[in-house]
Amino acid sequence: MNNRNDLKSLELTVGDVFSKNARLKARNVNVFYGNNKAIDNVTIDIGSKEVISFIGPSGCGKSTFLRCFNRMNDTIDSCVVQGEITIDDENIYDKKIDVVPLRARIGMVFQKPNPFPKSIYDNVAYGPRIHGLSENKEHLDVIVEESLKRAGLWQEVSDRLQSPGTGLSGGQQQRLCIARAIAVSPEVILMDEPCSALDPIATAKIEDLIHELGNDYSIVIVTHSMQQAARVSKRTAYFHLGKLIEVGKTKEIFTRPQHHQTEAYISGKIG
Amino acid sequence: MNNKIITPLEASNKVKKSIAKRRAKDNRLKLYGRVAISLAVCFLLILFYSIFSKGYSGFFQYYVTLDINFDRERIDPKGDLSDNSLFDGEASKIVNESLFSIIQPQGRKAKKQAKKIVSSGKDVRIAKMVKNDPSLFGTTTKVKFALDDDIDSFLRGYIKRETPESERRISNKIIEYIDKLNEEGRISYEFSDYILSGSASGNPEMAGIKGAFIGSMLTLSVCLLIAFPLGVATAIYLEEVAKKNKITEFIEVNINNLAAVPSVVFGIMGLAIFISIFGMPRSIPLVGGMVLALMTLPTIIISSRAAIRAVPPSVRDAAYGIGASKLQVIFHHVIPLAMPGMLTGTIIGMAQALGETAPLLMIGMVAFIVDVPNSIVDPGTVLPVQIFMWADFAERMFIQKTSAAIIVLLGFLISMNALAVYLRKKLERRW
Ligand SMILES: Nc1ncnc2c1ncn2[C@@H]1O[C@H](COP(=O)(O)OP(=O)(O)OP(=O)(O)O)[C@@H](O)[C@H]1O
Ligand SMILES: [Mg+2]
Repeated sequence: MNNRNDLKSLELTVGDVFSKNARLKARNVNVFYGNNKAIDNVTIDIGSKEVISFIGPSGCGKSTFLRCFNRMNDTIDSCVVQGEITIDDENIYDKKIDVVPLRARIGMVFQKPNPFPKSIYDNVAYGPRIHGLSENKEHLDVIVEESLKRAGLWQEVSDRLQSPGTGLSGGQQQRLCIARAIAVSPEVILMDEPCSALDPIATAKIEDLIHELGNDYSIVIVTHSMQQAARVSKRTAYFHLGKLIEVGKTKEIFTRPQHHQTEAYISGKIG
Repeated sequence: MNNKIITPLEASNKVKKSIAKRRAKDNRLKLYGRVAISLAVCFLLILFYSIFSKGYSGFFQYYVTLDINFDRERIDPKGDLSDNSLFDGEASKIVNESLFSIIQPQGRKAKKQAKKIVSSGKDVRIAKMVKNDPSLFGTTTKVKFALDDDIDSFLRGYIKRETPESERRISNKIIEYIDKLNEEGRISYEFSDYILSGSASGNPEMAGIKGAFIGSMLTLSVCLLIAFPLGVATAIYLEEVAKKNKITEFIEVNINNLAAVPSVVFGIMGLAIFISIFGMPRSIPLVGGMVLALMTLPTIIISSRAAIRAVPPSVRDAAYGIGASKLQVIFHHVIPLAMPGMLTGTIIGMAQALGETAPLLMIGMVAFIVDVPNSIVDPGTVLPVQIFMWADFAERMFIQKTSAAIIVLLGFLISMNALAVYLRKKLERRW
């Protein structure tokens, strides 16, 4: 599979798309919305315990590609995904694969905070409940508390767990969504512009969290902020018009981009 | 390009100029709105005023108080208070005797006329009284009896003294008797104990809406139990499960068409399917409820689908994102959020069904049924049909009864709508 000569996309992508201890592998992935090709022949590895950023101009397909990893694109009728994506060498687009456990393994945080219209507690407890992760009430309490702590929200909400999750501020809501995602102990977390609606302080909190989570999880983060990409990720992938243009160490992408399009974007000429 | 864009100064001048026009437009629109609303409120008030002012008298009727000697031998010859024994007794005779002792009719003909002053339900009333309270036996007690409907109409002034006797429904003699009873202070105008607890009856003074009311409740319950689960399930299937293709599109168009089908057509269908093919009995609330369920289904489906569509996609994404299955997304998130809308639609549908007459006429719920239905398979009728029937009867007193029944129906409707508003407020999550 790693035979580099098989992969046409290498002609397009600059840099090293492969990773030594790859957890997720995408091979020649194409995504269509009806007749519209949104992702064009993308190949990339995502290592275990790696934080990787997806950057690129608006509409280039970052969200679309991100949503391929937990098959969220299945919920869009017109969306067709071709190619192969594996997690631990298991094809997630295999007919035998059930999306429910898959999505429990690969959590997602959306661009817009979307807590359930339920209490803070129920928001976090929802995942463990439906997947049957807790043995009893006390255990569930522990999971909720631990998840909220890791998401850096515990101090702010510990005394009002029963109040509605939608009553929190935008930044708190986003951290609640992160707590909800990590409550089911996923192996990978996909984050689609998690800080786009947040102020610098909330953003910093979430970035700290990503740093910390990066020790245990694989994290893919889509961001429009190059500073953020530089702060949180070791690796960065640059997308343009549905194509993966360049992948590499974040530092190198930002200081010495190989591809002229990457350079144009970094220096503010595109996007 | 640049020379086409107007300068900020020009722009602000233009905006200023247009603003007066826009304000005027806004104000005109506001005015139209206010006029429309006040007109609607006016009409509503007039409607309510005319219904209530004319109809409330339907809840009252005239009674005569007579001294009844509760002689056990004569009322309950077998002495066991059984229906049989009470039927064999002479309760009517005792009432008549008491009446005659006051008005003193002379001769067979006069007595025969005088008997009719008191409603023919007098023996039933006495039987009921002694059954409830056997200690009445042996006493002489004052008892109130409904007056015959013609007398009632006379006392209300609908039948006039000045009318020549030959054109009047009651004779001069009777008027004389009534005057006598009046002089003795035995005639009273009171809240009718027949209108709410009586059933259909050929005697207008004894007719009540209990049977029809219970029939309406039973019919609506059947309708709700069938239409709500079916409608909500259909809506969920069409919105959440079914693939959007030609077939679902076709179904959708047809559901929308069904909502516009005249209700009488559903009645004919019910007649053809439930009664002719399945051989179910006529006039029963079960069939009535099924027919009304067919009629309300499109309303419930359409409003439920709208409610489901209004559930924010972000909530769905969140649930799918954490690994909820389709069923879990539907039951944990979509249904709770859509429930207020679904319920509102359902209650609107039920309110429609409550007021429906035509389809029920088709399946024979118009039959004259004296007994109050005890279950959904007992023959019965419903409020609007009862109103329809009463409005058709010749006796003057049925007009008041009709108005009273209409008030009850309106009250029923208003409380259902109030329930809808309450449920909506209660279930709607404000977070
Ligand atoms: N549900 C959809 N149906 C049809 N086309 C879609 C849909 N979602 C996205 N697209 C198209 O796919 C392309 C990629 O969209 P995508 O949302 O992945 O971009 P993005 O890189 O995430 O942009 P942004 O940075 O603005 O979020 C766009 O051209 C968009 O118009
Ligand atoms: Mg996006």
